[in-house]
Amino acid sequence: MNIARKRTSVMNRQKRAAFWFLLPSMSILALFVFWPIADLFWLSFHRWSLLDANHAYAGLANYVKLVHDERFWNAVVRTVYFTAGSVPVGIVLSLALALLANEPLKGMSAFKAIYFLPVISSFAIISIIWSFLLDPDIGLLSYWLKAAGFPASAWLRSTTWAMPAVIAVAIWKNVGFNMVILLAGLQSISASLYEAAKIDGAGALQRFWSVTLPALRQTLLFVVIISVIASFQVFDQVYVMTRGGPLNSTETVVYYIYHHGFELLDMGYASAIAWVLFVVVFLITLLQLRLFRFNETD
Amino acid sequence: MKTSAKRWATTTVTLLAASALASACGGGKPAAPAQTAGQDSAKQSAAQEQSGGKQDSSGKAVTLTFWNGFTGPDRPGYENLVKQFNDTHPNMKVTIDISPWDSLLAKLPTSLATGQGPDLAAFDSSLITKYAKSNLILPLDDLYSNGVDQNVLPKSLVSAMKYNNKFYAVPANNATLLLYYNKDLFKAAGLDPNKPPSTWDEWMDAIRKTTKTNGSDKQYGIALADHATIPMWPILVWGNGGNFVSDDNKSSRMTDPKTQEAIKTWSDLVIAGGVSPTNLTGAEADKLFQSGKAAMEMNGPWATGGYTQAGLNYDVAPIPAGPAGKVTLASTVALVAGKNTKNKDAVYEFMKFWVSKDAQAQLSGQTGFPPVRTDLGDDPKLKQNPFVPKFADVANDAKYYLPGLEQYDKIDSDVIVPAIQAITNKKASVDAALKDADKKLNDILQGKN
Amino acid sequence: MRLSVWRAAQYALLLAAAAAIAFPFIWMVLTSLKPEGEIVRFPPALFPSDWTLDAYVQVWKRIPFLLFFKNSVVFACGVTLISLAFDSMAAYAFARLAFPGKHALFVLVLIALMIPVQVTMIPLFIMLNDWGWIDTYAALIVPRATNAFGIFMLRQFFVGLPKELDEAARIDGCSEFRLYWQIVLPLAKPAVASLAVFHLMYNWNDLLWPLIITNSQEMRTLPAGLALFMGQHVVEYGILTAGAAIATAPLVAAFLSAQKYFVQGVAFTGLKE
Repeated sequence: MNIARKRTSVMNRQKRAAFWFLLPSMSILALFVFWPIADLFWLSFHRWSLLDANHAYAGLANYVKLVHDERFWNAVVRTVYFTAGSVPVGIVLSLALALLANEPLKGMSAFKAIYFLPVISSFAIISIIWSFLLDPDIGLLSYWLKAAGFPASAWLRSTTWAMPAVIAVAIWKNVGFNMVILLAGLQSISASLYEAAKIDGAGALQRFWSVTLPALRQTLLFVVIISVIASFQVFDQVYVMTRGGPLNSTETVVYYIYHHGFELLDMGYASAIAWVLFVVVFLITLLQLRLFRFNETD
Repeated sequence: MKTSAKRWATTTVTLLAASALASACGGGKPAAPAQTAGQDSAKQSAAQEQSGGKQDSSGKAVTLTFWNGFTGPDRPGYENLVKQFNDTHPNMKVTIDISPWDSLLAKLPTSLATGQGPDLAAFDSSLITKYAKSNLILPLDDLYSNGVDQNVLPKSLVSAMKYNNKFYAVPANNATLLLYYNKDLFKAAGLDPNKPPSTWDEWMDAIRKTTKTNGSDKQYGIALADHATIPMWPILVWGNGGNFVSDDNKSSRMTDPKTQEAIKTWSDLVIAGGVSPTNLTGAEADKLFQSGKAAMEMNGPWATGGYTQAGLNYDVAPIPAGPAGKVTLASTVALVAGKNTKNKDAVYEFMKFWVSKDAQAQLSGQTGFPPVRTDLGDDPKLKQNPFVPKFADVANDAKYYLPGLEQYDKIDSDVIVPAIQAITNKKASVDAALKDADKKLNDILQGKN
Repeated sequence: MRLSVWRAAQYALLLAAAAAIAFPFIWMVLTSLKPEGEIVRFPPALFPSDWTLDAYVQVWKRIPFLLFFKNSVVFACGVTLISLAFDSMAAYAFARLAFPGKHALFVLVLIALMIPVQVTMIPLFIMLNDWGWIDTYAALIVPRATNAFGIFMLRQFFVGLPKELDEAARIDGCSEFRLYWQIVLPLAKPAVASLAVFHLMYNWNDLLWPLIITNSQEMRTLPAGLALFMGQHVVEYGILTAGAAIATAPLVAAFLSAQKYFVQGVAFTGLKE
């Protein structure tokens, strides 16, 4: 009786607290994120040119157009290519770096700062750096590669190699980002867990599988989900490095959205594409949450 | 630990309070000119101080906002002109806001359509049709009948400023393309560096002679950019008497024999002759020319500064005449009046000033662009820069790319660039690529897309 | 013996990764020290033949650097501080409190991550325009005062802290706010510090948002200022690389100073059993 009452009062206290804790962030999200998203949904059923303040109702026209738009489907394929190429390799590399950086070695803070350098530089400057380095005729990197006997490639100017080059730059740019998150996760794993495993006679590899990975589950889940969402929305590096070219070989979905919305000023169609993209990303995220057994907190 | 966290918190609160205070104060100042009620007068006074502490003691100065994308090395030239206007017109004040063209063009239409936006704006003349058709910019016929004389502008420029036979803009600048050629590479190839090619035959010969396709000292005869560039391929098509659309803008001419022949000739040179890399952007083409990896390039007046600074031994010449005669590309930034301006008179005053003899001579001398008027003769300011007269000389041979077409961007990015890239990447034959482009273009022109 | 071989191998790996990652930046800094006319050249060279600081002088002379710097500081630090507070509060609720509709609300937060910012930019711009907020610090900061990414990230770390912690505290009659402020937040310091760096760098580098939201030179941030050197047809590479080097320096400093918190997590691990 008494215990039950105490429990309800704790529950009520938590409910009240949750309300106040969530109020600021949820009101800001509602106003500046969800309202525009809802607006976009409404607009995706309209003809909306940025040149015109009025929007004529268009029914499903934008969505019907999308189904038959070959270039949109090309963008979908290119986006999947980018994701498949950049996410797995990127996460494995950043986990390796994080494990390495977690070792108590001298000079580690300098190393970490170096690994983080690409993360803190802006895409505008990164594109300038890489298009200089990768220029097939006068670029320093291609010059050295050629001198070392590698076959010449046109990199960003080649329909075959532009996407691998964009993926490589994306990995280079983001590896430090994921490393920092994973490192924070690694550091909150209790040392006693490792000691217990050591006493049980577990080797380094075994400790990694049976202690590190399970303890890192929530962090890894976060890194995987965020990476997938971000790579489905990849825009900046494509915009500054290749403008989706050559021949649309690096044109991703968000670049295509940008092309329609900002270059052709057809925001109605851009909104429809954005909504389709959203549904796809949403489903993939739900699947990932299932796979990682998100709701089970140990 | 705790104290440092507290210090952070205090700093935030102070910062927030300060910024809130600043904006509150701004709103309360009565001196804010009426037409910019939405803006912060504190900022304006800061701006005034920056522009040399000009005194507007009456407080009645008319303030105009001017959005444009004149970034890069030419920026000081445009800023100086605005400053000069402000200095000579004590009752008016133009505040210039320069931002990259792509972000400017993202918010300009929305701002104008929702009843706001700047009094003055600048953008590529190809956009006039779009904005005029949506009534986002003001017609300027009365300005041209009283104050701006259209007879002093180059002829092609006059029609570029119009939509539906009405004027909607005055030219903010004017550029033509010339053939840049590397004298050292000409000499090395046994060509006379003082006698640039003047016909297509001579040109192709020079291109072939300056091309080296073998391994280590690879060199291109010409750097021909096909996307993210000032248009270069159209000049080749026009030189052969071809075009992309009919003169009345109603139908495609992509499969016109002259168009087809031009694209075939030049793409063969690129593919089989290796005279230029493919999928080149304008910036990449410039790098090739500047590093001596390409012997020639078609480019506008903006490139001379960098090439000279790099110590390149080069000169410019008119684009060699094709079978259909002399032709080059013209590119103009248009100065327009936003439809929501409350100071049309001041806007007109500014436009008149901008195209005036003095202003144009000064701008031209400083930026190296040819003046927008043809009556400057031998103003000494123009001769400061030896290249200016050469760019000005070809103004009457210059044509605009896809003039007067509302769907300019779509046609360029979705039809013409992909067609040329499909051909030069050997993904499609000239026939097939142009036939496909022809269909797409006709669909767009007939409003099916 | 075996141990020192292993150590050497670790250093070799660290160095190799550092060289690969840092090389483009070394190129950038060296390029900023070349005279403009020497940058585009064949054969390409890593080192300047003629060292000069001219590009740095030009950055200083040709844009109101301090003004842009101040705006960047107000914008990026403002967003970071407010967002850290709001994000961590929400994350606390999602990770440590029981309330109805929690799962649904959290999925909603994830949804906020899934719509590309490029499309919400214009509706947001129209809204802020209607409010008359354009060209103010408020318009720059308030829409970013919380961030779904930050909520998600901190939630993941807060969930990992031992449950016994708050149960004990609650039995002692500790208020939820004190629990959040004095127990959970300090324990998650590595995560909070890294999120602070992420917020800071994301906003510090952002170009499009400040450009769309501000209409005057007086409100522009550093990246927008550097964009002034990128002409439509001509880019001044030396000045741009110099500007980028200067603009990145404060972020490197922020990262280095946040680093000491990154390691602190270790000290607390003793708590977790």
